[in-house]
Amino acid sequence: MRPLTEPETRTLFTKLASYTGPSLKTLLSPPSQSTTTSQSQSTSRHVFRLHHSRVYYVRESLANHATSISRHALLSLGTCLGKFTKTGQFRLHITALDVIAPHARYRVWVKQNGEMPFLYGGNVLKAHVGRWSEDCAAGQGVLVLGGGDVAIGFGVTARSTAEARRLDPTAVATFRQADIGEYLREEDTLFTTT
Amino acid sequence: MAPTKPQSSKSRKPPSSGPKGKVGKSKPKGPPPKPQQVKTKRPTSSAKPKRKVYTEKELDIPKLNMITPAGVQKPKGKKKGKIFVDDQESMMTILAIVNAEKEGQIESKMMKARQMEEIREARRQEAEARQQHKREKLEETKDLIRKSRKRKSDTTSTDAEKVAKTEKPGKKRVSFG
Repeated sequence: MRPLTEPETRTLFTKLASYTGPSLKTLLSPPSQSTTTSQSQSTSRHVFRLHHSRVYYVRESLANHATSISRHALLSLGTCLGKFTKTGQFRLHITALDVIAPHARYRVWVKQNGEMPFLYGGNVLKAHVGRWSEDCAAGQGVLVLGGGDVAIGFGVTARSTAEARRLDPTAVATFRQADIGEYLREEDTLFTTT
Repeated sequence: MAPTKPQSSKSRKPPSSGPKGKVGKSKPKGPPPKPQQVKTKRPTSSAKPKRKVYTEKELDIPKLNMITPAGVQKPKGKKKGKIFVDDQESMMTILAIVNAEKEGQIESKMMKARQMEEIREARRQEAEARQQHKREKLEETKDLIRKSRKRKSDTTSTDAEKVAKTEKPGKKRVSFG
């Protein structure tokens, strides 16, 4: 387990920034900091740690405690955001949904009939879209919300909002990147480290 | 036999030892065959220490076009190993840079999309206008034909008109058994 290097940090933030807005800053410095004392500031501060090519978003005090566990014995800590591929790219995992969801820049609301196909790994079709954020460009990261404004995953827009309006109902509006169905589908591999 | 041995020993050692060098200088004192041999070896022994050893940089030899792999190249004076970014300030700066880049990208994308949308809209309107113009022209020609027919019908006799009237419905009728 180690902190990220500069290029790694840049890659991670670039990926996160494609889904979130400028409020991503709150990840590094939680807004509750100003009200708390200096001691609790250091404990509430969250950091990014790389362990077995996976990036974890951890409370600093917990990360410090984790140093007492040997590398091969440590399985996971904090929230796993994703992993670095061997080519140096970063893949966001579904576990990062809770980190992304409050800061998402664009959102797509899926109708009741579109939830199950999405949770089984399908893309979001135009017919299944309830509504979407305005002024969204093509290839932009979006948060997918189900009924009752519950985040069920995230994806990438296939077309811009204006273009998507003219699409036929069976056309893909958003390409799936991750959905909460993965917790069951990828149960065997989601938390394994090799 | 005896003189040859010292000669050989002298010839080997003079460059390293001072006194022997002196002995070499006092050649004229010695027997004639000895100095001849020493003379021949003296220049080599004295030249060796004088010769300056040049480094590759001093000589300015053009470097061979050898490729050093990226992984092998090590910049001098730089810290070895990874440099971690763990302090909040540097993370914030990286985040700010990344955010600014992303904003720029999104902005440019949106600008492009808007421009494309405008162009499409303009094209659509143009096509609509063209179609409208065509339709109007068609209507005009239709009216013209109708008027001309009416005029013709006015000029012709009433009998002919009756015939035409009776003929027309017969012509238009189409039936598929």
